[in-house]
Amino acid sequence: MRRGRISGGWDAGCRGWARYALLCVLTLGSGWAPAVEPPAQGADRWWNPGAGRVFPTLADYANALGTLRVELAGAALDTRQHPFFEALGPNGRACVTCHQPADAMSLSAHSARARWDAVGASDPLFAAVDGSNCPSLPQQERAAHSLLLDYGLIRVERPWPPRDAAGRIIRPDFELEVVRDPWGCNSLPAYGPAAATPRVSVYRRPRPVANMKYLVAAGFEYDPKQGLPLPRDVETGVLVAGNLMADARAPTLFAQARDAALSHLEYTRELSPAQLQQIFDFEMRVYTAQQRDAVGGPLDAGGAEGGPRKLLTSEPGQLGSIGIPVWSEFAAWEKAAEDPSLSAEQRAYRLSVARGARLFRERTFLITDSAGINSPIGFGNPVRNSCVFCHNMTQMGNDVAPGQVDLGTTTRPFSDPAPHLPLFRLTCTGAPHPHYGRVIYSHDPGFALTTGRCADVGKITLQSMRGMTGRAPYFSNGSAADLRAVVDYYERRYNIGYTEQEKQDLVNLMGAL
Amino acid sequence: MNALRRTWPLLLGLCVAGTALAAEQQRFVTCPVYRDSDAGKKSGCWLADERDSGQRFDVSLAPTKPDWNRAILVEGMVASRQENVCGGVVLDPVRVSVLDMPCTRAMLPAETYPGRVFKLPARNVRPLLEPRQPPARPFRSRTFHLLFDFGSTFIVYQLDDYLLDGAISTIRAVEPRRVIVTGHAATTPARVSGVELVESEALARERAEHVGEALRRLGVPDARLEVRWSAGSDTVAAEGADGLSEPTRRRVDIEVIVDADPRTGAR
Repeated sequence: MRRGRISGGWDAGCRGWARYALLCVLTLGSGWAPAVEPPAQGADRWWNPGAGRVFPTLADYANALGTLRVELAGAALDTRQHPFFEALGPNGRACVTCHQPADAMSLSAHSARARWDAVGASDPLFAAVDGSNCPSLPQQERAAHSLLLDYGLIRVERPWPPRDAAGRIIRPDFELEVVRDPWGCNSLPAYGPAAATPRVSVYRRPRPVANMKYLVAAGFEYDPKQGLPLPRDVETGVLVAGNLMADARAPTLFAQARDAALSHLEYTRELSPAQLQQIFDFEMRVYTAQQRDAVGGPLDAGGAEGGPRKLLTSEPGQLGSIGIPVWSEFAAWEKAAEDPSLSAEQRAYRLSVARGARLFRERTFLITDSAGINSPIGFGNPVRNSCVFCHNMTQMGNDVAPGQVDLGTTTRPFSDPAPHLPLFRLTCTGAPHPHYGRVIYSHDPGFALTTGRCADVGKITLQSMRGMTGRAPYFSNGSAADLRAVVDYYERRYNIGYTEQEKQDLVNLMGAL
Repeated sequence: MNALRRTWPLLLGLCVAGTALAAEQQRFVTCPVYRDSDAGKKSGCWLADERDSGQRFDVSLAPTKPDWNRAILVEGMVASRQENVCGGVVLDPVRVSVLDMPCTRAMLPAETYPGRVFKLPARNVRPLLEPRQPPARPFRSRTFHLLFDFGSTFIVYQLDDYLLDGAISTIRAVEPRRVIVTGHAATTPARVSGVELVESEALARERAEHVGEALRRLGVPDARLEVRWSAGSDTVAAEGADGLSEPTRRRVDIEVIVDADPRTGAR
């Protein structure tokens, strides 16, 4: 069975709407009726900063594969004067600009293109500071924003050498040189590691600000990847779970909010304790997941437990291998063939998702030369395991341990050539990298820009896996255009040997999350 | 029939090597061989050939598994119960240290060997949600030993983290007067399989400081924590060594010192 998924997500928007119409026919035919408002679309879909809207307790957003749901725990939120929704700095941006409800509280490249088409360069999303490839480029031209428009990438500027949490300089055990700099932000006099204020510009996807209780949950007191207990945040005293941000530079949501306000909003004042608390409270209340599939119907029907409600009501931080297996939300669909009330398409879809969940947990392959997995923890190189080895948290699919792992998505030779991205040559001055050796070429050194350690080059914090349909493209550098491209990357990287059917089952599973 | 075919060479190997093989602690350096058996997650086999005898050992049960790009130091004893699921004489207990010496990658197919279905090791740290069993009263001063791979300061997963968890559970329960951390390194050179193995004194310090930092993160206040290191190292009886002696030279001792009850000598 192949469902012939639409590649490119919203690029095929009309087909997406046709599928939504089909969903209505299917679901009405099966007696199911939506209990919430119709999917938001048009002008309501995009949240402008300072719009003063009410954030509802429940909102549905159509996407190419069905409907994404966003739930807010507790009461609806009046966003007037709320620091997540107000433009605090001079560039007109708010947090919500890059964390859009319709995009699973992230930002899809499709939405960025829609804003460009509707508003152009004047939209705060395209602020020169990081919504363009480099502020030095002519900002009215599309080409100046190609990374955001084509790959959903925001420029992230990191200090070089790195600083620790207290702002002290870390002496890195590797040297960094710029090999290729297509946009100037790593080589012009005002930018880059040779500038008066040395910095390194990398380009990353905004991460979803939803389901956060899972990302800040510490399931264990130890970080097996670092061989140390988890640190405690100096400010709050809580254990740092280590699953925020691609390079884990911010230990807590408070630190993340400060970092984002200063960099992305260009807000030069300190966020007040009250503002920080408001942002934190909101972020901890938002849940999102795909709610309905355009063909398969509701994802919480037939015994399945998809959708954000389950996320909202479940305990975070549980390791699937010793508790509730990851993606067992869809275990009941393994018996979909016995349900005579389903259409042939629904039945095929549900069986496919259930197979995908099993594949995710049970299909093992050889994981090789991936720091954070094959070193230094002692699992061995290679180690045979499945997707759930790392994506191991029940209900969420992030890592219960701090999730800094090098899959090779940003680092040669495993990454794509990516001529649109800068390329750095990193030379380890102490011990060589356990898998790459002494000289490494990377588009984004990731965690190493936080720790200054050669052994951490290429490590990127694992992504959470809910609400994926709303926020293509995938991987930290947007290198996977759609869910099939995610599967294809893993297939290439680890030579897994998935069949076409298995690939489609995994795509359908991820689309259902 | 397959099982007999698998077991016969192993039995033959054991007979040829004689009973001395079972009694001795094996210690050798070699390049590892990965056998791609597949009985589910973590079921691949790690084999290590001792070059002097030509004996092939199964070292898959080591807490630290090999890296197929690097040589390994194997330290272990022949298991009392042999289960030939990988194609080698099983060492258990066994420790593997990954050395900074390159090897050519070598991978065998599963052939007729099924590998082992993964079982969670007995030494595993439990989730935060699970309460720890406090030590029985009366409390007495006690020393915990963390053991390290050769040349490494890394707290070994599902060995040292478990032992450290036991130490901190005790420390939290007894609120000791002092916690003394002492690092050791195998600074006396030893020639193993033609390779000179010796650790630097600096490694003893790094191990001590690493464990000191771990204890600080776990809440031991600086005022009660003392970090020391020592040149040279004797072997000790340590829980985590399972009867192996040489690995205990590479260790950190955590002495948990409680105030004695003036009447009973206990708390």
